[in-house]
Amino acid sequence: MKTFEEKWTAWLDGQLSGRELSEFEASLPDKAAAEAEKADARKLGELLKRELSARTLTNEEFFSHQLLERIARLRSPRRRPARQAREPGSTWWTIPRLLWTGVASLAVFLVFTVLVVREKNPADESPYLTQILNARVDPVTSPNATVSIFEVKKDRITVLWTEGLQSLPADYAAK
Amino acid sequence: MNVMGRAPAFLISFVALAIGATPDLRGAETVWSGLVIAENVAQPKAVPPELTRIEGMLREFFGYNQFQVIGQSQKTLKTGQEDWLTTSKFFGLHVDARGESEGGYVLNLKLYKEKEVLLETDAKLSKRSPLVIKGPQVGSGQLLLVLMVQ
Repeated sequence: MKTFEEKWTAWLDGQLSGRELSEFEASLPDKAAAEAEKADARKLGELLKRELSARTLTNEEFFSHQLLERIARLRSPRRRPARQAREPGSTWWTIPRLLWTGVASLAVFLVFTVLVVREKNPADESPYLTQILNARVDPVTSPNATVSIFEVKKDRITVLWTEGLQSLPADYAAK
Repeated sequence: MNVMGRAPAFLISFVALAIGATPDLRGAETVWSGLVIAENVAQPKAVPPELTRIEGMLREFFGYNQFQVIGQSQKTLKTGQEDWLTTSKFFGLHVDARGESEGGYVLNLKLYKEKEVLLETDAKLSKRSPLVIKGPQVGSGQLLLVLMVQ
């Protein structure tokens, strides 16, 4: 059983028909005033429908809207990682990160140490040939002796060549 | 495996690799010094193993076909300040290391015939560059002094 308000609303919306419509209109005390109110309600509804309907966005507006929404989402605290959200006071220096940083620092240190040590090791893969800095022959026993220096670069050998040293008998070849 | 589990494993591996790749810090190099008699003979003996590395050059440069070691020494240089003597029956080679320099060791060499100094020289010996000194004629052969870092 509909109340009067329900029937009134349905009548304003034009949803009553037939016998229900005729019975309701007969129950109205002032049908003319009711018709005027119905007309006003219809006008108001049309006005609201016309003015408040969603305006269609242009392409540019739609694109800007999308971008603004994305920026807003990124800036929103809800978008932060769940772990950060749970730990608002945590810093970058978590235990695993500290450990990894330590390992990385040690690795860099060792690499540089190895490089520096190799660089300073004098006998390691030297690019240099042996050098004769000076040479002297006893002028008393070998007054006419001379010395020359040869570098056999193919074999990476340096030769100090002497000429005119005192010759010795074969006995001197003994072990 | 989580991060906490990987980090120590990585650290241990890296340290092991780094230590393995690191050469001896003080480069304890061994220097071989030898008194060699070079001769031309009909039946040459095999070259001593210490001279294998430079055999071709010795043959080509000095023109002999046999090289016999009549005295030799091996000295491990730890401080670069060591000295040693290589002797044969009549000859002596005194090597006095006077420190490291860029690319080698500075050596003072004196060749003695008994107590008489025949030759003195200062040289900077590099690891991959042997030093050969042509000494006096001995009989039909030649005395050579050889120094090399092994």
